[in-house]
Amino acid sequence: MQSNSTQVQPNPAAPPVPHLSIRNLGLKRNDRWLFRNLNWEVPRGSVIAVVGPSGVGKSSLLNCLAGLAEPTEGELTFSCNAGCLHKATDYQKRVGIVFQNLLLSQNSTVLRNVLCGRLSRYPWWQTLFHFPRADKQAAALLLADLGLAAHLHRRAGETSGGEQQRAAVARALFQEPELLLADEPVSNLDAYLCGRILGILRHEAHQNRRTVFCVLHDPALLERFADYALSLDPMNPDKWRIREIHAASAD
Amino acid sequence: MQPPLIEAEPPRSRVAVPPVDLKWHERLGVLNISLLLFIVAVICSAGVLRGSGRDLNYLANIRGFFANFFPPDFTVTGQTLIGLCETFQIAVMATAFAIIASVPIAIAGAQTLSPRWLVLISRFLMNAIRTVPSLIWALLAVAIVGPNPLAGVIGLTFYSVGYLGKFFSDAFESVDIEVARALRAAGARTIQAFQYGLWPHAKPLVWSYSLWMLEYNIRSAAIVGIVGAGGVGLQLHTYQEYYQWNKFATVLLFMFLLVSALDLLGERVRNQIVRKAVSTKTL
Repeated sequence: MQSNSTQVQPNPAAPPVPHLSIRNLGLKRNDRWLFRNLNWEVPRGSVIAVVGPSGVGKSSLLNCLAGLAEPTEGELTFSCNAGCLHKATDYQKRVGIVFQNLLLSQNSTVLRNVLCGRLSRYPWWQTLFHFPRADKQAAALLLADLGLAAHLHRRAGETSGGEQQRAAVARALFQEPELLLADEPVSNLDAYLCGRILGILRHEAHQNRRTVFCVLHDPALLERFADYALSLDPMNPDKWRIREIHAASAD
Repeated sequence: MQPPLIEAEPPRSRVAVPPVDLKWHERLGVLNISLLLFIVAVICSAGVLRGSGRDLNYLANIRGFFANFFPPDFTVTGQTLIGLCETFQIAVMATAFAIIASVPIAIAGAQTLSPRWLVLISRFLMNAIRTVPSLIWALLAVAIVGPNPLAGVIGLTFYSVGYLGKFFSDAFESVDIEVARALRAAGARTIQAFQYGLWPHAKPLVWSYSLWMLEYNIRSAAIVGIVGAGGVGLQLHTYQEYYQWNKFATVLLFMFLLVSALDLLGERVRNQIVRKAVSTKTL
């Protein structure tokens, strides 16, 4: 992946601008608070693992960050690479999402699904028949890197769950987003591929300064992967906890 | 360090369980109610089976009528083939125009894609078109452009839009729009989200319905000839008027061959399409 971080080189003198500031964020579902009074200045380029038991609101938190769900209270402010401040809804284009249920187009080829990550870069009439050759090459390279070289031209629906999961990760990466939200991106993968995917996500965060939120379940992976762990508590929506794991490597 | 072992634990038998049987009124969904209404309608409609009430020998009538068909008179083969060719052309053109016109109407009529008011307008329009039989549409077209194949094309196009619009709407509605929503969230324009998120799933259905419509239109195109809208229908009409049932039989035979051939072809295509379309979500 090429870097698009040329405008924002870390300046040791200036205090780091948080990529995302979360203020008093709260979300209520079915008359129950999932989380509340969540406050955090998220440093750019950090890897955050979101943890907690099933149904605690991890996916809902990601949906709020993606601008797909309206938080019940509080606000989110994103600062883009150019330095402007945005609300969640107008930051959407710069957010890449790996959905828990993947949401690939099952009848399209794996390659085409990945190419869809860059739809926002072109007006509709340019993508009416095909994508630019350079994009196809780059997408093929990315897929080959994830072990999907043999499946480029197979329909997504014909590939296995693990292959589809990698294709969904590839689509989000291909978008080259500033903020990457991944909802259990490695749940169907073996230990090796798990490590590969998480390694790529870490690389994207630290090298290309994309902030990564990732819902994870495996505590062993968490320690090896994340800079921060954000854990939600099902009993006390106020008792969310942020733990630094490898914070030194982020800024 | 050895991770802690998960302790063996038998399933619990003293858990509060909700009732496993639903009450009768809890089972009454829209589906079951409409099914019940249909059964009631069947019972109430039995009256139409009464017939004329006169004492007719049905079997002898059938035998007498069909005896006229044999042997078919193959001297009219040449003009029948020419007529059928025109019928086929009318059907192809009408189907093509109908497909093009139906896509936008179908999008407007799909509940998942359009606002409610647009859906209602589009549905109303399609219902209105379907209400008028193809023969009447052809009659209308003949009155406007004169008795020629163009009238057949116009008449059948209208009629087909009524059907294809509805079928395509259903096809679009049957596709889960979450994928398209996901693309929208990633910044794709509406048209792009439709093309890449929804169309790949709707396309096989749309094409399958279109093939069915083509087959249907060949049969309809033969009929609309009766009111002068071109094709083999005029021949059929003439033979019927002059009681030349053996020539009539020849035309029917060739039509049967054409429709059967198309049905076979359509079936092969549909099988392939359907297998591809549902292979991801089979039982």
